[in-house]
Amino acid sequence: MTENDRLLLNAYIDGELDPAHVLEFEQRLAADRPLADERARIEALRGAMRERLPRATASPELRRRVAAVARPRRFAIDWGARRGLGTMAASIVVAFAVGSAATYLAIRGDRGEPELLVSSHMRALMASQPVEVASSDRHAVKPWFNGKLPQSPRVIDLAAQGFPLVGGRIDVIGLTPAPTLVYRARQHVISLTALPVSLRARGPLRPIDGYNVVEWTDGSLAYWAVSDLAAPELENFAKAFRAGDAEP
Amino acid sequence: MDRGDSRTRFANVVIPHLDDAYGLARWVTGNRADAEDVVQEACLRAFRGIGGFTGGNGRAWVLTIVRNAAYDWLRKNRPPAVVHVDDLDAVERMRSAEDAAPAGDNPEAALIARADEVKLEAAIASLPAIFRETLVLRDVQGLEYREIATITDVPIGTVMSRLARARRRVIDMLGAHR
Repeated sequence: MTENDRLLLNAYIDGELDPAHVLEFEQRLAADRPLADERARIEALRGAMRERLPRATASPELRRRVAAVARPRRFAIDWGARRGLGTMAASIVVAFAVGSAATYLAIRGDRGEPELLVSSHMRALMASQPVEVASSDRHAVKPWFNGKLPQSPRVIDLAAQGFPLVGGRIDVIGLTPAPTLVYRARQHVISLTALPVSLRARGPLRPIDGYNVVEWTDGSLAYWAVSDLAAPELENFAKAFRAGDAEP
Repeated sequence: MDRGDSRTRFANVVIPHLDDAYGLARWVTGNRADAEDVVQEACLRAFRGIGGFTGGNGRAWVLTIVRNAAYDWLRKNRPPAVVHVDDLDAVERMRSAEDAAPAGDNPEAALIARADEVKLEAAIASLPAIFRETLVLRDVQGLEYREIATITDVPIGTVMSRLARARRRVIDMLGAHR
């Protein structure tokens, strides 16, 4: 096996091989026994790493230390004549706000749907689980929404397209409770929220703090997808979802 | 950018990737306490430099800073650990991988698939730092080649070569220690 074959094999396994060369490489794999054996070993290693190496989680102590990094050294709030009780209240509010990133996000005002959806997505990522109902079975996820919201979203199985379903949760966007489906793309999480069509995008969408946002409408619902997945891949997800069949 | 804006952006851009940041630091330093120090230092740098983040891939931006902080830590505290490509060359010259690969119905793959967590961690931990980080970024944290290239500041070709060699080395170790 040449060095070049080895690089191609790894790129093929990682899905990084140029599509034009995939077919050609698969034909070689079928004919070349040592190459196929090496593929089996690499796949075995990847599988073992995926299954047995737990993803690290930052301890609460580390989160506290990191929050302290961004803690203000003096409070720049001008409370004017409102001293005494007012000053004490201000300190409590500021300390509370910087004590938790999620809380801090929650108290920022004046934002549109894209920002609200991105902050819901981030809040979900910070929680121990990004879902309230964890299931890759759409027949388990859809009924869960049925009991809680007047309108439940389409739940589509996209595992074959590389986007396995993780589960669902309910986000509150502004004052609107909204069903959110959670899908995965490799290690990336995608939040897909269904809002009333009145809350559709009002202009072109830009990335917000590194998260891409895609929106489309389907009947009376506006679907919003948020993820740190690259923009073309998130578009592919949207395309797959729109093309997907919700039945049976 | 005033401090309030910095705090908001820090909360939006850095905090969501704290688990990944800690994971990378843990693999580079090899232990929890040092990894936490590295992450704290990296977050301090990220907070100071948050005005320079122009949007795009927040995770790659954060991991780049963590990686640099981790290497500064390694250089200071474990100078022998910062080794380069030549070191693995020497290891590889000692054996010839092709000859050792068994023919037949691939019992080695089955052996690797069954490797337990302790063996797996030990094999990965024994890799030189630059190979270890490439393998971990790809197979533990699930990043793409171009993201790994950005974070480790090398061309994609180098990422491919490091990844291929890191995997080969780990496979060797898991296949040999039966």
